[in-house]
Amino acid sequence: MAAEISDRVREIAEANDLPESEVFERALERGLEILWEDVVLRRYLGGEIDRDEAIEQVGRTEVERVEREQRIVEEDVDWGLNA
Amino acid sequence: MFDGLLVPETVYAEIEAGGVPPGLADVSYELVETDAEEKKTGDLDVGESAAISIARERKVTLLTDDLAARESAADAGIEVHGSIGVIALAHGRGRLDADEAATQMRALQRETSLFTTDAVIERGIELLDETR
Repeated sequence: MAAEISDRVREIAEANDLPESEVFERALERGLEILWEDVVLRRYLGGEIDRDEAIEQVGRTEVERVEREQRIVEEDVDWGLNA
Repeated sequence: MFDGLLVPETVYAEIEAGGVPPGLADVSYELVETDAEEKKTGDLDVGESAAISIARERKVTLLTDDLAARESAADAGIEVHGSIGVIALAHGRGRLDADEAATQMRALQRETSLFTTDAVIERGIELLDETR
């Protein structure tokens, strides 16, 4: 896994003509963004923040996507527990 | 857990191409032949189209984690559920306790290409917990 990551970093750096340190920096930024969105969406689904605040923090598209996913998961759980 | 499990031959071929999971050997299922190309629906691939076609013809529940297939099936009036529902069903019927069901749900999100994020999975686990 470590070797695979190292190879990928090298390839991304070469493909974008960037130093490997910047590839790591960008990866960290993107990774943090995804983790942050999960935190916000979990707070929204848990009722800790309202819809407007969630939209403000992660955007309408993400909020609508998670609402759609939530409906599907709720339907499945309801079916599974009552079938 | 089910009265029967039908697997379209097209879908089985796709599974074979990716490597048949060892657990499948423990499951009883019937392979169903379909004319996959003839049954192809919109933008769905042949496996999903075949599964929808069989579910419609035999009036059975379709199991898929593909969102587009799920919506297409629902539009056609087919009852459709996914892996989350199967885990909940196993829990509801006493095959998995709540902790095992939660572990399986998290593994689905972490180890597969399931459509959803961990925030939604955690919400699903909360719903299971509410039934304790």
